[in-house]
Amino acid sequence: MIPRYLSVHDSILIGLGQVEKFEIAYNWGGIWGSDAVYRRALEKGIPRPIEIEEYSNLSVGMRFLAASLGVSFMPVKSLLGSDIPRYNSRIKIVDDPYTGEPVALVPAAQPDVAFIHVQRCDEMGNAQILGHLGDDDSLARAARHVVITTEEIVPTEEIRRLPNLTCIPYYCVDAVVKVPFASHGRGCSYYYAMDVPFGIQVGNAWATEDGFKRWAEEWIFGVEDWEGYCRKVGWERLLRLAQAEQRYQKFGEVR
Amino acid sequence: MENKEYAREYTLMELMAATMAREFCDYETAFVGIGPPLIAAMTARLTHAPNMTIAVEGGAIGSSPRRLLTCIADTTIDERAYSCLPMWRLFGDQQRGFFDVGLIGAAQIDKYGNLNTTALGGYPRAQVRVAGSGGGNDIGSSVGRLLIMMKQEKRRFVERVDYLTTPGFLAGGDSRKKAGLTGGGPAAVITDMGVFRFDAVTGEMYLDKCHPGITPEQVKENLSWTLKMPAEVGETEPPTREQAEIMHTLDPFGLYLGNGRQKMADPQEGFEFYMQVLEQSYSMMKPLWR
Repeated sequence: MIPRYLSVHDSILIGLGQVEKFEIAYNWGGIWGSDAVYRRALEKGIPRPIEIEEYSNLSVGMRFLAASLGVSFMPVKSLLGSDIPRYNSRIKIVDDPYTGEPVALVPAAQPDVAFIHVQRCDEMGNAQILGHLGDDDSLARAARHVVITTEEIVPTEEIRRLPNLTCIPYYCVDAVVKVPFASHGRGCSYYYAMDVPFGIQVGNAWATEDGFKRWAEEWIFGVEDWEGYCRKVGWERLLRLAQAEQRYQKFGEVR
Repeated sequence: MENKEYAREYTLMELMAATMAREFCDYETAFVGIGPPLIAAMTARLTHAPNMTIAVEGGAIGSSPRRLLTCIADTTIDERAYSCLPMWRLFGDQQRGFFDVGLIGAAQIDKYGNLNTTALGGYPRAQVRVAGSGGGNDIGSSVGRLLIMMKQEKRRFVERVDYLTTPGFLAGGDSRKKAGLTGGGPAAVITDMGVFRFDAVTGEMYLDKCHPGITPEQVKENLSWTLKMPAEVGETEPPTREQAEIMHTLDPFGLYLGNGRQKMADPQEGFEFYMQVLEQSYSMMKPLWR
């Protein structure tokens, strides 16, 4: 697993014992609070010991960029002098052949499959992201297979109106799935705000191993599909999150 | 600013944020973490540094939101931004030297300003596992000068960090330069007890100022090496009334500076409280950006 940073979705897989190793820059708890699932895995090996390979944010992005360009590494001026390369033998500190100065090389990251959620995409797979985009443009080109989940499927004519927004062209994409509110919990720029109270409650539920199991039973195995999840959260709540976001920013409008 | 009027009442967190705000200069480009660091930077931006630009790790530059940022990749960071870039591009701009100043927190710091945000008590199997580098290592490596905001505790202020996530002055002297790092290194550490700076030659941390009511001896007790200090240690300036008012407007529901987060955690009332925050923030914060 190669997320830039571990957030709720990745921690669920760790909590369910589905992860052997992850390559990351950091785990984010933020306003949701400390991520107890991640801590249990690394501090106590619960539910299973996990191998961790650490980088920084720039170097994770450069790893995807390398793979997206079809080269095996990229150089960065981060990581030098720190303990990160000391415990990660895949990072090589070498003398830059042009300047003689130390530089860190990070290996390309080529995931088997990438799941990328976007705001708008057409049926061909031309995907447009509004607002911040992580390194999704590189990731889509680095992965062997790409599944786009999207808030909305729009006509190709609509994509053609603002082609600069298409950071992932169709030829990178294997499948497009319409999944509205797929980022619930976290937010989706121009579509719906982060559900902070939900996140804090998730964080609290995960405080113990038993608590996590009960949460997974209720929120993952206890709902039949995505619609079931949305019904459980409540459509009204989701729509209020959408209204809240769009009071501040709505695509195509000055607010 | 002449004839400063100081706030009559303020919390320790507000004093820290106001003190940190003074570290930013007008026209600077800054890389800032979410939470109290962002409150500090925004306070600077909305008082003495109106032409300062703030970027956050998620990839947005110059956001001017009318609501409080809750995450470095929250939807809020995009609100009225100058630009949203791929993350490697934003961090690349920083490596290129476009960022004057960065502000981050840490779980542990040592006397050369090296930071640990990865693990306390062993690695990879840690006693206490924390977030990891994120952008911390990148910012500490190449930003013009690094500002640090953290809690003052003996186990957090150590001779040598358990894991060196973000480079400060490494082993002191010219070791930072020798490692090939391009940024200027740490410039100031602000804690709940005072302000620390670094010797220009040795790279060692020294006590510059204590907060009102705190003595250098108390600081020494909350730190685990023999701290250097000048013959006279100054006192931190309290927040001005203007700074305090801005902070209250930036965080009117006390999410970072008060108990707002606790209120949001309430299973019954939390969501309604959150909706109320998003309902009211717009009109409260909009005038800030005039």
